[in-house]
Amino acid sequence: MKRRFLATLILLATLPSALAAAGAPKPFERGSWQKLLHAHAGHPTLVHFWGVTCGPCKVELPQLGRFMKDHPGIDVVTISADLVPNLPEATRSMLDSAGLASAENWIFGDGFAERLRFEIDPAWQGDIPRTMLIARDGIITTIEGSAEIADLNKWSDTQAAATR
Amino acid sequence: MISHKPAARMLLAAAMLAAFPKLARAQMSHQHASEAACEETVLRCASKVTPAFAPDGTLWLAWMAGGQISVASSKDQGKSFSAPVQVTRERLNLDWGPDARPKLAIDAKGDIALAFSIFRDQAFNGQVLTTRSTDGGHSFDPPRPITANNESQRFEAIGFDPAGAVFAVWLDKRNRVPAQRRGEKYDGAGLFFASSKDNGATYSDARMAADNTCECCRLALAFDGAGHPVVVFRNIFEGGVRDHAIVTFTDLATSGELHRVSRDDWQIAACPHHGPSLTISSAGTYHVTWYTNGKARKGLFYARSRDGGKTFSDPLPVGQLNHSPSRPQVIAGPQALAMAWKEFDGQKTSINLMTSHDDGATWSKPTVIADTADSSDHPLLVSDHRQTYLSWMTKADGYHFQAIEGEP
Repeated sequence: MKRRFLATLILLATLPSALAAAGAPKPFERGSWQKLLHAHAGHPTLVHFWGVTCGPCKVELPQLGRFMKDHPGIDVVTISADLVPNLPEATRSMLDSAGLASAENWIFGDGFAERLRFEIDPAWQGDIPRTMLIARDGIITTIEGSAEIADLNKWSDTQAAATR
Repeated sequence: MISHKPAARMLLAAAMLAAFPKLARAQMSHQHASEAACEETVLRCASKVTPAFAPDGTLWLAWMAGGQISVASSKDQGKSFSAPVQVTRERLNLDWGPDARPKLAIDAKGDIALAFSIFRDQAFNGQVLTTRSTDGGHSFDPPRPITANNESQRFEAIGFDPAGAVFAVWLDKRNRVPAQRRGEKYDGAGLFFASSKDNGATYSDARMAADNTCECCRLALAFDGAGHPVVVFRNIFEGGVRDHAIVTFTDLATSGELHRVSRDDWQIAACPHHGPSLTISSAGTYHVTWYTNGKARKGLFYARSRDGGKTFSDPLPVGQLNHSPSRPQVIAGPQALAMAWKEFDGQKTSINLMTSHDDGATWSKPTVIADTADSSDHPLLVSDHRQTYLSWMTKADGYHFQAIEGEP
């Protein structure tokens, strides 16, 4: 058990830094959403949609960075859902300063944003920020607009409780 | 058993590390994913195209392509266009937000006022720039900031009033810093306005019509029968509710009373990137369309006001909710009212149209008038003295300018 814990720690420590070193956020394309859901199946996952030009996002992003630090048991995924030619650099720099460089970061990589949004949630018209909490059992709770960190903590606690 | 698991995970991590160079290369090749079909400044490569008819019936287009703003005109309702004229000279970081686009207005003499936004720094603070042409669109003055203030501005709207002055309205963050200095929280942006008596060469000092409005949605501007500007915008009402408001100006320098268009009760601290549309018919009726995701209603809606925006009819739902309806536009054409919006079925974006021949009391059944299978600009409606047209830029199928059938 101790060995497992240690190995997991090493994994947690090396994997994110390796991801960060890999550079720009991953392009989020057609089919990426299903892959993402599949990859995180069984793990409590927070998926945060944001964009570099969105005022409320700039306020929320650092709070999310702290949330990730405080909740190593939650997979934190960010998806930049604005679409622009010059976005990857700005996206990365904002993620870095928010303490989210080591999160699993994506960026809309298909000009047909309507289709990408439709795959995620047909009712979503593109308003950001938006947060989807995917529970261990796959149940998704969507928070429109800026999330209250207290609500995220509460959800995280229920996820931790569910494992015991 | 337990000890095998971490080992397997370590192996996986090592495998992923080995795969990273390839991953990084794959990412590089995808960074050019764009809403535009190509990188040049020509119309075919545009991501946003804005049409406007001149009083003499000439159609003008302003578009964003290749990092520049360009214009061209058509004397035959969009069948053929003049050689494009580039409005901007240096490569600017044009505001590419979903609700941003260049705006243009043409007066009776054929002078053109044009406005657009740029991101002027790394923090995506915006700046509204304006320019004009006094030689029939052959050349444009160097673009200048609409206001001397340096806080973020975006989402300008411009138009000529009947007396020939340019009225401009935009969203402006100048009150944020003073509020924060006082230790107060500042939400949204102010709705600011100014006017120009020289076709947009210089603008009056900026004034504020309303503070704490939603900072990330386009504005809708029209002129009433007396030539007063009327502006519809997403406001922030008590409790962070981002519902729509309307204001009719007393004159170009005086804002009027603010009224609420609808109680949708959309409480959200977010950027909806989805502004309203306004048109005023010859009967003086205000017609408004908008998007909301409120507690009271969700989707696209239409309502009209016959008392100058003081009260509105019950919101009429527009479009099929399970087809992600978006970007509603309404226009009072010479023959009828027309409304167009986007729907998406998972594969294709279609443009849907409804018309009304009784000033918005009843509407036709929706019909699909165009579609595309890749990204597209908002559908825009524009009228000359005879007919209404759909203006729609698509990545896959180029620029559409089509007369709306059944009209007149």
